[in-house]
Amino acid sequence: MTTAAYTKGELYIRILNAGSYSELEEELRDRLENLSAYLPGTLVKIDIGDQHLTSKQVREIEDLLLDHGFYLQDLMSNGPPVEDSAAGAEEYPFDDMPYYNDTVMICRHLRSGQKLFSEGNVVILGDINPGAEVIAGGNIMILGSLRGMVHAGAFGDETALISAYRMNPTQLRIASHITRPPDGESVEPNIPELARIRAGKVVIEKLKI
Amino acid sequence: MKSKVIVITSGKGGVGKTTTTANLGTALAMLNQRVVMIDTDIGLRNLDVVLGLENRIVFDIVDVVNGNCKLNQALIRDKRFEGLHLLPAAQTKDKTAVTPHQMKNLTNELRKDFDVILVDCPAGIEQGFRNAVAGADQAIVVATPEVSSVRDADRIIGLLEASGLKDSHLIINRLRSKMVKRGDMMDIDDILDILSISLIGVVPEDESIVVSTNRGEPAVLENASRAGGAYRRIARRLTGEEVPIMAMEEEGGGIVDRFRKMLKLAR
Repeated sequence: MTTAAYTKGELYIRILNAGSYSELEEELRDRLENLSAYLPGTLVKIDIGDQHLTSKQVREIEDLLLDHGFYLQDLMSNGPPVEDSAAGAEEYPFDDMPYYNDTVMICRHLRSGQKLFSEGNVVILGDINPGAEVIAGGNIMILGSLRGMVHAGAFGDETALISAYRMNPTQLRIASHITRPPDGESVEPNIPELARIRAGKVVIEKLKI
Repeated sequence: MKSKVIVITSGKGGVGKTTTTANLGTALAMLNQRVVMIDTDIGLRNLDVVLGLENRIVFDIVDVVNGNCKLNQALIRDKRFEGLHLLPAAQTKDKTAVTPHQMKNLTNELRKDFDVILVDCPAGIEQGFRNAVAGADQAIVVATPEVSSVRDADRIIGLLEASGLKDSHLIINRLRSKMVKRGDMMDIDDILDILSISLIGVVPEDESIVVSTNRGEPAVLENASRAGGAYRRIARRLTGEEVPIMAMEEEGGGIVDRFRKMLKLAR
């Protein structure tokens, strides 16, 4: 039994009695294909009843939603708590991190007009202020506030990651993808976040370590 | 006491570098320091006007570095304070008339006779800026609570660090506490968060500055001026005295505010 309801800008999908994960996925895919034309960019809550998903499956579902232009808001289950497995060793975000031989570590703030380039990874213990630029062939990790522009995977590596203690950039670039925060509302994040490419888009998510 | 060369800079124009130089120079002279102010804004000289000393200029900084006159011939003694002097900029030349090397020699020469040498830096990051910072051992960065000013201040702090000047302090100028309270203006913490250097003073927006600038009388000479009071406190901090920084100074009469606070305390 599957139901879908749209209230207050949120889509609520309930999939109960799906026998297996593949059944559940197929059921969801059907629903999303029907709905994606009407409600692009909507936040979705999914209730999967007694099903139990591994964190890899949760990520697959998230990607499936993104493919159809939806964002996963919440995944509810009566089975063993999903959060537990999501926080488990399996979901460690740096597992898929591309490997680069050299890493540059900078222990100061990068100020407006200052530019840092590295062919490998960059680790910064400090802030990147507006008007400063960091360009790296590999990953970029900032143990401070990111307010400027950073470009990871500058030679075309789409698996490169950007993480920051506070992610509030003027612009984020990964490989050939360029994104900027939405105009108008400015949300000051108060948790560490991670940016990477998923389903062809730059997405920002909570940094789980 | 070892003499100090302090450059007053900001990157952006119009945020109050010259006003700050004139007021700090005068306030330091009031504290019995021997002070010289150097105007390095060659081609756009202003500091003499703000101090009301324009009509006394005979020689200027370009004459001094080119050897057309002796240093103490070009120094103008202030009409109010014995220990306060001005080395004016040239108006008919441009920034390339002086080199950073010449500036360094000049400030070293002045160290012999003065406790504090204040260098008023021009706006921008070109040669005028490089000249002004050449001989300095300390910097005061002036910023107003606007994004553009803070951005330029950040750039300037980076350039100061790159030129080996690690000792930078921040003055936040023209703060309007009412607007900050309403959330319409950047507050002190927002600015410090980005610039992350030590704060040496907050100067409130004050109409008396306009009046005193036009009259050529620095605001620190007026006891009633709130901005003048803030500059006097900064000058005391520069001499090593510990003066607490008031985060938000009350604007206007404040009787109603004070009454409100008392009520809050009573609860």
